Amino acid sequence: MLTIAGISKYYPSGLKALDAVELRIPDGSFTSIVGPSGCGKSTLLRMIAGLDVPTAGAILGRPEGEIGLVFQDATLMPWADVEANVYLPLRLAGVTRGDAAPRIAESLALVGLSDFAHAYPRALSGGMKMRVAIARALVTRPRLLLMDEPFAALDEITRNRLNDDLLLLWREQGFSVVFITHSVFESVYLSTDIAVMTPRPGRVMAAHKIGGPPVRDASFRASAAYLDGCRAVSHDLEQALKVRP
Amino acid sequence: MIRLLPLFVGILFLAVWELSVRWLQVPVFVLPPPSLIAKAFADNLPLLMSALWVTVQMTLAAFLASFIGGLALAILFSQSRLIERSLLPYAIVLQVTPIVSIAPLIIIWVGFDHVERAVFILATIVAFFPILSNASLGLRSVDPGLSDLFRLYRASRWQRLFLLQLPSALPALLAGARISGGLALIGSVVAEFVAGSGEATGLAWRIAESGQRLEIPRMFAGLLLLSLTGLALNFAVARVEHMLLRRWHPAHGEGAR
Repeated sequence: MLTIAGISKYYPSGLKALDAVELRIPDGSFTSIVGPSGCGKSTLLRMIAGLDVPTAGAILGRPEGEIGLVFQDATLMPWADVEANVYLPLRLAGVTRGDAAPRIAESLALVGLSDFAHAYPRALSGGMKMRVAIARALVTRPRLLLMDEPFAALDEITRNRLNDDLLLLWREQGFSVVFITHSVFESVYLSTDIAVMTPRPGRVMAAHKIGGPPVRDASFRASAAYLDGCRAVSHDLEQALKVRP
Repeated sequence: MIRLLPLFVGILFLAVWELSVRWLQVPVFVLPPPSLIAKAFADNLPLLMSALWVTVQMTLAAFLASFIGGLALAILFSQSRLIERSLLPYAIVLQVTPIVSIAPLIIIWVGFDHVERAVFILATIVAFFPILSNASLGLRSVDPGLSDLFRLYRASRWQRLFLLQLPSALPALLAGARISGGLALIGSVVAEFVAGSGEATGLAWRIAESGQRLEIPRMFAGLLLLSLTGLALNFAVARVEHMLLRRWHPAHGEGAR
């Protein structure tokens, strides 16, 4: 269980980005954080990754080993081919290319890019670049995958496909996901748990559990569980937007 | 057809030049016709070539030294803000001081019998700054997302430098190298002019000498050779740039230019 215990972030300018955020993320869960822009959800994710320090509070129960991180932008190294990009986390950990080769191949196979190992990012579509970023995040076999609006810049068809592929990976690999989005529909479709945040200063306003079948596919979008989830999360998001500090 | 256009313009220009000089009977020591320049070129070929070789050697040595020195200093700056803050103002002072004005001083310091050393030092000073500033800019302009990723995976200082900062800096560094190559040549020429007679045997000195003797066709031949050298240098660096960047850089892809 990853526990976010009373995290606050104040900037010297007096801006309160986050205010006493409480959140529990069970192992193996798919938790989405939904909130309007500027609610500090990216900051929260950076803190979970250890890239940013909270002013107060603590993050407890980070899993052993590496954490996977995927941004809205694929942030690939343009000078390196797909294989070298996926190799990066292992390379930085001192794993030789030879030892890493099977892991890289496995990671590329997981995202369906085995045939593109030697392509350069420039030659790839937005969706493929995002797959490379996911393969790179998974190459260390993390127990926790952090994703900051990873599919927000993609077209809907690509986004839906990547959603399904991500769910498949999550089910098969058993890692936990913390997923940031401002799409209610995307969050309900993907998640076991959803936290709704208020705008500045960011606070967790409500937490939801989404039921539904263990294996989700297009039919889930027509189910009562999905529609109930969407209704509830939308309602909370509306309430969150009314909150004035 | 479009590619040949500059050639046609050149031929037209030379023809107009030749004809008008003959027609208006312009004295040879003011403006020699192209035919005479070509003849001077052929007649003085061994002399011009050996002079060119001296200048080219000097230019390449200065270019190499400024490249290595500029890059090394930029890397040092990128590693320590403190060093950058303390040294950068002096690098800028060196850059903004007109080279011609420090040339006599450098020549005195290294001795009149080692003019080639003075030329080397002066050309290096001139060529150094574009490398330093472009490499510094490049080393700093790292994708913040990638920078976060390197932090997440606890990259060492060296891993960050070699796997992230230097590749990010490569396009800017090469653009700097192109400017610097041209400046190394200019620096060599200016330094040779200032150094004057004696030990200097480079092309610039030959041009100055021809001017003093009113051997204007030979002067033009030397100038032509100097332009061609600058062109060749620029082309060579552009080739290297293209080779290194074509696989990934947006401005150098297949189809780009």
